[in-house]
Amino acid sequence: MSTRLRGDRGVIAPTDWKRTRVRWTARTAHAVLLAALVAIGLGPMLWLAKSAVTPTQDTLREPLALWPNGIDLANLSEAWTRVEIDQYFFNTVALAAGAWAVQLLVAATGGYALAVLRPRYGKVLSGVVLATLFVPAVVLLVPLYLTVLDPPLLGTSLLNTFWAVWLPAGANAFNVLLMQRFFSSLPKEVFEAARVDGAGPYRLFWSIVLPMSKPIIGVVSVFAVIASWKDFLWPMLVLPDPDLQPLSVRLPALQRFVELDVFLAALAISTLIPVVLFLAFQRMFLSSAGLGGAIKG
Amino acid sequence: MATTRTDHGRIAAPARAVPRQAARPGRRGPRRSRRSGLHTLVFLLPMLLIFGVFSWFPIGRAILMSFQQTNLVTDPTFVGLENFQTVLADPLLWTAVKNTLYFAFLALLFGYPIPLVAALLMSEVRRAKGLFSALAYLPVVVPPVVAVLLWKVFYDPGPEGVFNTLLGHVGLGPYAWLQDADIAMPSLVLEATWAAAGGTIIIYLAALTGVDPTLYEAAEIDGAGIWHKIWHITLPQLRGILLITFILQIIGTAQVFLEPFLFTDGGPANSTVTVLLLIYRYAFTSSLGGDYGAATALSLMLAIVLALFSALYFRLTRSWSSS
Amino acid sequence: MKPSRIIATTAAAALAAAGLAACSESEDDDGITDITVAIDAGLEQGAIDAFNDRIAQFEEAHPDINVETQEYTWTATTFTAQLAGGTLPTVFTIPFTDGRGLIERGQIADISGLTAELPYIGDFNPNVAAAGSDADGNLWALPIAAYGQGLHYNRTLFEAAGLDPDAPPTTWDEVRAAADQIAEATGEAGYATMTNANTGGWILTTMAYALGGRTEVIDGDTATATIDTPQMREAIDLIRQMRWDDDSMGDEFLYDWGTINQDFAAGRIGMYISGGGNYGSLFTQNALNPDDYGLTVLPLEGADAGVLGGGTLAAVSPNAESAEQAAAVDWIDFYYMEKLTVEEAAVADAKTLADSGQPVGAPQLPVFDKATYDESLTWVADYVNVPLDQMTPYTDQIFDQPLLTEPVRGTQEVYAVLDTVVQTVLTDEGADVDALLAQAETDAQAAMDAAA
Repeated sequence: MSTRLRGDRGVIAPTDWKRTRVRWTARTAHAVLLAALVAIGLGPMLWLAKSAVTPTQDTLREPLALWPNGIDLANLSEAWTRVEIDQYFFNTVALAAGAWAVQLLVAATGGYALAVLRPRYGKVLSGVVLATLFVPAVVLLVPLYLTVLDPPLLGTSLLNTFWAVWLPAGANAFNVLLMQRFFSSLPKEVFEAARVDGAGPYRLFWSIVLPMSKPIIGVVSVFAVIASWKDFLWPMLVLPDPDLQPLSVRLPALQRFVELDVFLAALAISTLIPVVLFLAFQRMFLSSAGLGGAIKG
Repeated sequence: MATTRTDHGRIAAPARAVPRQAARPGRRGPRRSRRSGLHTLVFLLPMLLIFGVFSWFPIGRAILMSFQQTNLVTDPTFVGLENFQTVLADPLLWTAVKNTLYFAFLALLFGYPIPLVAALLMSEVRRAKGLFSALAYLPVVVPPVVAVLLWKVFYDPGPEGVFNTLLGHVGLGPYAWLQDADIAMPSLVLEATWAAAGGTIIIYLAALTGVDPTLYEAAEIDGAGIWHKIWHITLPQLRGILLITFILQIIGTAQVFLEPFLFTDGGPANSTVTVLLLIYRYAFTSSLGGDYGAATALSLMLAIVLALFSALYFRLTRSWSSS
Repeated sequence: MKPSRIIATTAAAALAAAGLAACSESEDDDGITDITVAIDAGLEQGAIDAFNDRIAQFEEAHPDINVETQEYTWTATTFTAQLAGGTLPTVFTIPFTDGRGLIERGQIADISGLTAELPYIGDFNPNVAAAGSDADGNLWALPIAAYGQGLHYNRTLFEAAGLDPDAPPTTWDEVRAAADQIAEATGEAGYATMTNANTGGWILTTMAYALGGRTEVIDGDTATATIDTPQMREAIDLIRQMRWDDDSMGDEFLYDWGTINQDFAAGRIGMYISGGGNYGSLFTQNALNPDDYGLTVLPLEGADAGVLGGGTLAAVSPNAESAEQAAAVDWIDFYYMEKLTVEEAAVADAKTLADSGQPVGAPQLPVFDKATYDESLTWVADYVNVPLDQMTPYTDQIFDQPLLTEPVRGTQEVYAVLDTVVQTVLTDEGADVDALLAQAETDAQAAMDAAA
């Protein structure tokens, strides 16, 4: 399954795997890890799924009991119709896709320029990008909102457009740093060889660096999509028009008017989607042939 | 080719790159014409534009606001350092600083090694590796409302609470968890670690796919055991990413907000008030934007402290990693 | 491009943008005034349609005004940002507790010139009107709903403990005794209190008021904090005895408004103090079993004891031009005030609420006089869907209780100080109440001075 330069291995050597003690120790460790991960990762999800079809009072009174008073499947249909999940689903996807594209574009090109092209002022620039992490997002809420209302250079308010969510999402120093670190960890010989073959910075980026960086692109993608999926304060602020809002904004708005069980059902339905997306991403990136293919090719 | 790569310090700290480049001017010198500078700029353009407009510009605005008093409606007035004095005179500030340091320390204690160990173990999984990483990442996907409901059940202070029941089997407790000023903070750290570890794990997993297996093979020829390989190959190979996740975690925990905000609102008796919670209160709850100046002033002070710390950190680790 | 230059450019641009105020532009030449009015986010379609019908009626009566809706939810973060950006709706609602602060800081429009001309300006219940008035008594925001604090109790737990649910406690000693009995018999919390997000201070102030205390003395421009008082101490002692001597307060001490509602609806709390109209959220969000619910007034003891009031104000955006302000007041008069004074409007509103499953008839306090309020109750009697007979201990007595306004100077900051006091008393058995109250008074005074 693992895909490294020379086939399938990690720290433990293939010969080690043949030793009984190593195999059993590893298997036990893996079993313990799996059990822990199921408990802490899957447990809450299963609880949410359970609560989605449990009457409110049962969830409040006996949160961990399995349906003491029966299953309430009507929650799901009520959540679907009351929240109009189908209608807001498109907005959610559009926002996530745009935020993903902008973040990836900024992080990949910026990280590439800083790590591979290495301009003289690169160090200072990295510092200025890193410095944005020091300023808490909470306090930027008002200045950023004012910027979106009257952005420099653009001159037109971004309020009630998806750009108001997409573009600020790109200013994510964490992503840039991750990409930059990963790119600078790639073997330099490959770059040198490509340069000798006459590859310019664009071909080097597109044909060499990006294909070699699938794992980190996958990680940044997952971060971008999930963050966009969960974010609600910012989209609520810059998308006051309900027709443009994502599920994450509609759900809390509804909380005042619906019972907890319907609310949890709506949450469960809307959480299902990023989980499925994550599994898809994960197949595409995290366990794909990262380094190997690029170097051989 | 594989063996020549070992001396490359593939995860060089960025600071290292410069002297090395300077030492070998011939390699790239001729190509560094004005044209290549232009290409670099083309690649930097999205970052410069987006950060310029949506990060540096608002930050500049926030810095400005820290010297102003404003009701957010009429024109602000400059008040010099008054906002900073207000913040420094707030008796809660030092409580918040102390609590934040405590949180950062505990978060590092729990949160730094756990993802690394988990990622190392997971990278050795030979089947269904995807399942492992998906499970590890699931807590990040859990909506905060659900997390609060669920952890409240876990932390139920009654003897019938989940954690108290579990600990009761080994004769411990019952503990009051979030209701007890002494253990409220560790309880928050536990939840925060649960919520954040998945992200760090998949970063490590991605980095581990970059470790060259031939290094292991070379070490095995020399008869190195598993621990030896982890210590002398895996960890050094991950050094760059470990260094950066360490500082990112410090920066992140210094700005911890969501956990105290969702679970305790700073209580009981201010034992979980953090710097960010204080900033949030200045800006939004106390007087609805009336104290935005104080909020930005405290943010600026926090940012300066973090910047100094990071600069020191990179300086220290540079000399440490190059020695 | 040198990084230093980037920084310089950014800094210069930031300086150029020093003026934060944004202006609203609705200066049409066609003589039509455009206003945006707040509508609750997340309403059912039926309620939205009913709202739009009212807009159509309003526009028919005021052909020179064009009304658009804007979804609006009162949260501190979005309000602050929208305030700064000038993007608040022209008309929006705010809770009483934030009214005075917004008025003092000039963050809502001064419409007192317009409100002074309303025909019913002299008819407001003075203690309700105070929430929307500045220090000189000018009405900046119109009260549209009011309530008094009440003691909510769980009738089922009362019965289980052998208490008569139709005869709830009438003194604080009885409250304590009932709490003890409930905790003994059922294992649930006999009494619980909010402690978080400034609600701890809110409820502690309520208790001090009910015992005849006050948390501030206003003399002209100077405000003096009066936290370290016998009444406040009595309130604290009561809580402390229930918590540590009787152990009748359960084991959850970090409640805010939402979570205490949740636990009460789940039958984990015998009694707690909150707004008298709280039934709505208990039922709609937390599926409270209506049979469980009981409501009575707070026991008032000692001279000057009174019940703390709260409610909702309709306010106008500080960015509104004068024509917009006038149109906004017309809208408030039409949409919010008519519900209180005009039969058709009241019935239509009740019908809309009842049709969408929202509660109708939870007890409120009169915004004007009691006669008007009583009359309005008869109009909507057919739509009432809350168990009114279980609230008679409250509705029979609340109108005789003196209604008191919240503290006005640095209200939320002082509440925050008191949060700490309640939390300490509830979580630290050895808490030194003398030192706590002395410290709280100092802190509250500092907060009041800062707010002045």
